[in-house]
Amino acid sequence: MSRLEAKKPPLFISEPLTRDTVSQSLSLLSGILKSCYGPAGRLKHLHNGMGGYVCTTSQSSAILSHLSVSHPVLRVLMASVQNHISRFSDCGLFTAILCCSLIENFKSLNVASCTVIKISKHLLSLCMDYLKSEACGCRVSVDFSSVETLLCLVRSILTSKPACMLNKPEVDHLTMLILKAFMFTVPYCVETNAVLGKCVIVPVKGRRVVDSRVLPGLLIETPEIQLAEPLTVKRTCSNMIKIALFSVSMSGDLFNPEEGTIAVHHGISLEMSELNQLLNVGKQLINDEVGLVVCQKVMHPSLKQYLKENHVITVDRAGLSLVEPMSRMTGSKPIASIHSLSPGCYGSLKDVCIESFASKHFVHLIPNDTVVCSMILCNRNETAWDELKRICETAEHVLQLTIKEPLALLGGGCTETHLASYIRHKSYSLSTSSFKEIDCSQTQYQLVADGFCRSLESVACSLNHDDGEVLTDMFYGHCWFVPSGFSSVSNWSDVVSKCGCGINGNTENLKWRLLQGQFGCPIAQGCPKEPSVKVADFLTLDCFAAKCNGLQVALETANLILDLSYVIEDQN
Amino acid sequence: MPLDPLPFPPQTGWKKRCCLLPMAFRDMNARRHIGLQQLSSLALAGRTLLGPMKSCKFIVDESTNQSTLIGSAVRLIESLDLTSAAGQLLNETIQAQNKEFKTGMSTLLFLIGAWSNAVLECLQQNVPVSAIVSVMSEGLNSCCERVQCLQISIHDVNKELCSSSVRPNAFKSKTCQIGHDSLLNPQIFLYFQKDISAPEEVIPISSCSYQEDGCNSNKCLVSPLAGLGSIASLVKPAGDKSTSVISGSGVTTSSCNKLTHSRYFSTLGKSHFSSQQGNFQGYFSGQSADPCECYGFGHLAMALSHGNQASVKLLQSVVAYQQERAECSGSSQFNIAEIVTCCLLGLPENYSCVSPGFVTLVSSEQATVIKHFEDKPLRILLMDGDLTEQYRHLGFNRPCNVRTILEHPSLWEGRAGDLWLSSMLDILINFEVNLVLVKGNVCKNLMERCIANSILVIGFVTRDVLRAFGEVTSTQPVTYLTQLNASCVGSGAQVELWKACDGRAMDLGELVPVRIKVQGIPLLTAVLTTAVASKMQLIEDQFWTLVYRLHHALNDKNVFLGGGAVELLCLSHIQMLAEQPLQPANKNAVKEFHNPWLAASATEYKSVVLQALASGWKQYLSVVMCNTAKAASELEACTTVDHHLKKAADCGSPSAYILKEFRRGDLLRGGSGPFADHGEGLKVYDNVTAKMEAWRRALDLVLLVLQTDAEIISGPKRNQLLNSHMSSEFMFL
Repeated sequence: MSRLEAKKPPLFISEPLTRDTVSQSLSLLSGILKSCYGPAGRLKHLHNGMGGYVCTTSQSSAILSHLSVSHPVLRVLMASVQNHISRFSDCGLFTAILCCSLIENFKSLNVASCTVIKISKHLLSLCMDYLKSEACGCRVSVDFSSVETLLCLVRSILTSKPACMLNKPEVDHLTMLILKAFMFTVPYCVETNAVLGKCVIVPVKGRRVVDSRVLPGLLIETPEIQLAEPLTVKRTCSNMIKIALFSVSMSGDLFNPEEGTIAVHHGISLEMSELNQLLNVGKQLINDEVGLVVCQKVMHPSLKQYLKENHVITVDRAGLSLVEPMSRMTGSKPIASIHSLSPGCYGSLKDVCIESFASKHFVHLIPNDTVVCSMILCNRNETAWDELKRICETAEHVLQLTIKEPLALLGGGCTETHLASYIRHKSYSLSTSSFKEIDCSQTQYQLVADGFCRSLESVACSLNHDDGEVLTDMFYGHCWFVPSGFSSVSNWSDVVSKCGCGINGNTENLKWRLLQGQFGCPIAQGCPKEPSVKVADFLTLDCFAAKCNGLQVALETANLILDLSYVIEDQN
Repeated sequence: MPLDPLPFPPQTGWKKRCCLLPMAFRDMNARRHIGLQQLSSLALAGRTLLGPMKSCKFIVDESTNQSTLIGSAVRLIESLDLTSAAGQLLNETIQAQNKEFKTGMSTLLFLIGAWSNAVLECLQQNVPVSAIVSVMSEGLNSCCERVQCLQISIHDVNKELCSSSVRPNAFKSKTCQIGHDSLLNPQIFLYFQKDISAPEEVIPISSCSYQEDGCNSNKCLVSPLAGLGSIASLVKPAGDKSTSVISGSGVTTSSCNKLTHSRYFSTLGKSHFSSQQGNFQGYFSGQSADPCECYGFGHLAMALSHGNQASVKLLQSVVAYQQERAECSGSSQFNIAEIVTCCLLGLPENYSCVSPGFVTLVSSEQATVIKHFEDKPLRILLMDGDLTEQYRHLGFNRPCNVRTILEHPSLWEGRAGDLWLSSMLDILINFEVNLVLVKGNVCKNLMERCIANSILVIGFVTRDVLRAFGEVTSTQPVTYLTQLNASCVGSGAQVELWKACDGRAMDLGELVPVRIKVQGIPLLTAVLTTAVASKMQLIEDQFWTLVYRLHHALNDKNVFLGGGAVELLCLSHIQMLAEQPLQPANKNAVKEFHNPWLAASATEYKSVVLQALASGWKQYLSVVMCNTAKAASELEACTTVDHHLKKAADCGSPSAYILKEFRRGDLLRGGSGPFADHGEGLKVYDNVTAKMEAWRRALDLVLLVLQTDAEIISGPKRNQLLNSHMSSEFMFL
C-alpha cells in the first residue's frame, strides 16, 4: 500500500549572508583555503576516516572535489571556482581566496549591495584594462625563443605545492622534463589551425623523481612480456608498420542487449560463433598486412595466439585514455565493430619496441612525427605522486595557455599588491563624471575600492604561514616578506632581501608599509612603477590567462553571492 | 578593526580540531602535532628490529590464537592498527620501500620515529615549520652528497674481500671447531638462554641465538635450531652425514674451504647433476687455482648479510650456480627472476638447500603419478589461467540473458560437466601431455581424471616459473585447452620426488615435495625448511632480503661501508654544517630560485634544526649498538659515537678517519659483548640506493605530516563523528 504524504512547503531563507552559520562556514572555508596557499602552504589529509587511501594535498582541485558542502551560498562559490579550474587548471586557490575575501570585505561595508556591485565592476574593468595594457607593471612577456622565462613559469608552479616533496635538483629535473614534453607536443609545421599534441603521463610509483623521463610516442603497459625481444614486426613496402586500433572489446563475449533473452538450441555455442567472427577479423588483418593490433579493451587469447602465429604483434588493454592520442599519432581510426573493417581505418607507425622501466614493461609506439609524447612520472609514494601528477598536468596546461597569450604575471604576491596600489592610486584620480556614470558618491567609491584592495592584499598575505610580517613598498607596489622574529625591527630594509617574485632586490630605500592590520594607508603615492630590470633568471611567475580569469570569476561570483536575497530550499 | 575576520587566523595555529558538514575537518597543528606523535609512537614498536641483531617479535592473533614470528618492519606494520591518516601514510611508505628494495624498512621505520620526535622538539622551541622543512631537507641532501665518498665499487670490494679471505678462512676453521662442540658447550648454550629471557614487550624469541650460531659460521654441523634444544637430536644424523662431506672436500681443496663447506653444493653435484659431474668437477678445480674468481659474489653476499648466516649459505649456492651458468651462456650473472622459494614445514632447518629446477609441493595422490613417469622425458604444457570449466579470461563478460533450449532433455541431463571433463582429457591425451603447470586453480574432478590417466597437473604456479619453463621449452602458455596445438607443448621435462641432502625423499604428511626440471632451465629453487611453523615466514623474508641486497648492490655497482660508517660521517658532516658561519643567504638567493618564505627564516634556526636531523642518526647508531650488545646502554653508545666524532673532527678529514677505522674493523665497537673478540675481519657493507632512499622516504614522510595542519574527513564516517562525543573536536561545513 502506498502512502501519500503532504508536500512540505519550501523553506525560504531571506538575506542568507547575514546568517551566522553562513558567515562561519564561509570563514572556515576561507581559512582552509588560505592555509593551503603558496610554497609554504599547509597540507590537508583528505580521507574517509576508516583507513585506506589518504590524499595529502594543498591543491584546490583536490580539496574542492573532496568537500561536499551543504550550504547553497558555499556551493555557488565552489562551483564557480571548480569551473575556473576545469578551464585553466591554475590559480584555483587564488580565485577562491579572493572571492571569500571580497564577500567578507564588501559585506562589512555600509553600502547598498547594488552600489557595491556597480563599483566593483568598474574596479574590475580598471584592473583588466591595466593588465592588458602595455604599461602594466606587473607582467612580463614570455619569449618562446628562449627557455628562461618558461623555466621560471614551470618552476613556480612546481614549487607552489609542497606535498610533491621535491628538492631542488628534482625540481630542476622535472622543470626541464615538462618543458621538453611540451615542446614535443608543438607541431613542426604550423598551419593556420595548429593544434597542440598531447603528453600522456605514465605512472611509475615508488621510484625516485629523478628517474622520470620523457619519450616521444606512446607507451602501453603490458603485464608481462609475451613478446620476445628483439621484436620482429611485419612492415609494409614503404617500411612502415601498419597498425589497427580497436576501441571495441575483442574478448569474445556477446553483445549485451539491454533486456530480453536469447534462446539458443542446445549444441550451439554463441561463444564459439563469436570467436569465429574474431578469427575472421584476424584473418582479414593478416591479409591487409597489419603488423600491430592494439585493442583498447581485452582480446581473446585464441585471437592473440592466432595473430601471433602469423607474426602480428598484439597489445590489448591499452585503456581509453590512450585511444585518442594514439589515433592522432598514427592516423588510424578507432575500429568500433568486429563485423566490418574498412581498409581506410589503419594507421602507420615508424617503429615499435619494448621498454622496461622499473619492474614494468611497455610497448613503445614510435611515430613518424611527434606531437604525442609520454612522460614516465616517478615519485616515491602514492600520495606525493598523485600531487605531482596534478601539478604536472597544470604546468602543461599553463604552457598551452601561455603559447596562446605569451604573457606572465609576477608571482609571489607581487601582482596582487601592485594591482592594489594601482587601484588605490587610480580611485583617487578618478573624475567626477565617472562617479556620476556609476551613480555613486566618491566616498562610496573609495570605500568599495579600499575593500577591493584589501581583498587583493589579503591574498598576498595568505602566502605567509609562519609568524612574520608582509610588507609592500611604495615605489613598485611589490610584496615583501619578513621572517618571524623580526617584528620589532625599526628599519625594514635591514631584514628583507627580495620581493615575493624576486624581481626587485633591496637596493634602494623603498619605503615599506605593513600590509596587515593597518587602518588608513598613505595615499600620497604615484602610480606604482615598473621594475627597472625586466628579465631576471629566477622569477616567480604566474599564468596570465588563468590569473586574469580568476580575478574576474572571483569578483563576479562575489557579486552574485552579495546579490542573493533569498534561498528557497525544496524540502521534499 | 582586524583585517582578517577569521576567528582563528592560521598563523597562530588553531587550537581546536575542526570538522565540517558532509565532510569533517580536523585541525592537527597545535604545538603538539598529533600526526607526528602518532608516527613516533608507531615507530617505537620497531626499535628492536634494527641492526644485524634483531629481537624478533611474536605477533599473536587473538581470534585464532595463531602466532607468527616477525623480524622485519613490513611484517610489523602489516599487523598494526593503522586507521589514522598518519598511520596509513606510514604504511604506504614502508610498503613502497619494501616493494622497491625489500631492504631498509627497519631503518626507515626507525628514522621516521626518531625524526618525528626531533621535529616535535623543534616545534616546542618555536621553530617555524618552513625553517624545519627547508633546513632538514637541504641538510639531508648535503649529507647524501657527502657520504658518496664512502662508496666502494663492487669490483674493489670483491678484490678486497677475496684477498683477505685467508684470514677469515683460518677464523672459519676455528669457529667450525667451536660450532662442532656447540651442542654440548654449556657456555654457548648460556647465550641462548640469556636471549630467550631478554625483556621485550612482545614475547621474546631467540633470534640472537639464530644469529649467533650463524656467526659461528659452522656451515653444516650446527643447525640454526640448536638453540631450541628439542630438535637437536633430530638434527644430528644429518649433521653427521655431512661431516664426512666436509672433511673430504676440505682435504682436496683447502683453499676453497668456504665453498666446499656448503653441503648444498656437494649435493648439487652428487644427486642432481650426475650427468654434469665432470663439468662441476672442473669447476671445482678451477676454483682452487684461483680462489677469488670462483667465489664470484659469495663474499659480497656474506658482507651484505649482516649476520643472516643461514640465508648466506643458500644465496652463495645460488650465486655459484648462476655464475657457472653465466660463464657458459653469457647471461647475466645474478638474476632474481630465476630464483623461487619453496617452504617445507616440518623438516629441520639444516635441510634447507638450493635445488636446480622447480621444487613444489603436491598431494600424495599426485605423487603416485610421478612413479609412473620414471625417468622418461615428459611433454609439458603451460597454462596462464585457471583450469576449470567456468573460467574465462579476464575481461570476458558472461552473458546473463541466454537461455538454452533442450529438445531431448533426457539424453543430455546432467552430462554437461562430464562432457567438458572428457573433452579436456581427450585433448591432453591426444597431445600426449604428461605435465601441466597451471597459474591458477585446477578443477578437482579434472585433477582426479588426470591422475588416473597419469597426467600430473600442478596449480598455483607463479608467473616467473611459467616464464622460465616457457623460455627453455620455447612454448607459450595457453589460456584454454581448446587453443592447444603442437607448438604449445614442450618436451624434455623431468619430474622426480625431491630428495633432501641425505638422499631421502620427504613425505610431509599429505604433501610431497617434487622437483620439476627441463634440461638447461635456469630456474633455482631455494628450499627453505623449518620445524617451527611460526618461523617459516621469517626465514623466507630473510632469504629474500638478502637476495635483494645482493641484487641491488650489483645494480648500484657500488656499496657503502657498513657498520655505521655512513651514519657516522653524516653526523660529523652535520656538525660541520652547524658550525659553519651563517651561509650568505643573500648571495645565494641571487643564484638560486628565489623562495623568500623558506630561505629567509631558515638561517636563524639552522643549528637547532640540523641538530634535530643529526639526532635521528645518532639514535640509530646507539640503538644498533645496544641491540647488538656492543654497548650496554644508549648512554654508553652515545658516548662511543661522540668519542668517534671528536676523533674524526680532530683528525681533520672525517672520511679518512672513518675509512681507517672501518679497515681496522674498529668502527663503533664497544669494549664489551660477546662479539668483541672474534668479530674482526668480517667486513660489513650496505646497499647505497636502498639506504639513501630509506632516509629520504623517512624524512619526506615526517615533513609531509609536519606540514599538514588539518584532516578533512568525508564519507559515512562524517555522520559517526557528528553524533559521537568527539563531535566537539571537529568542525562541520
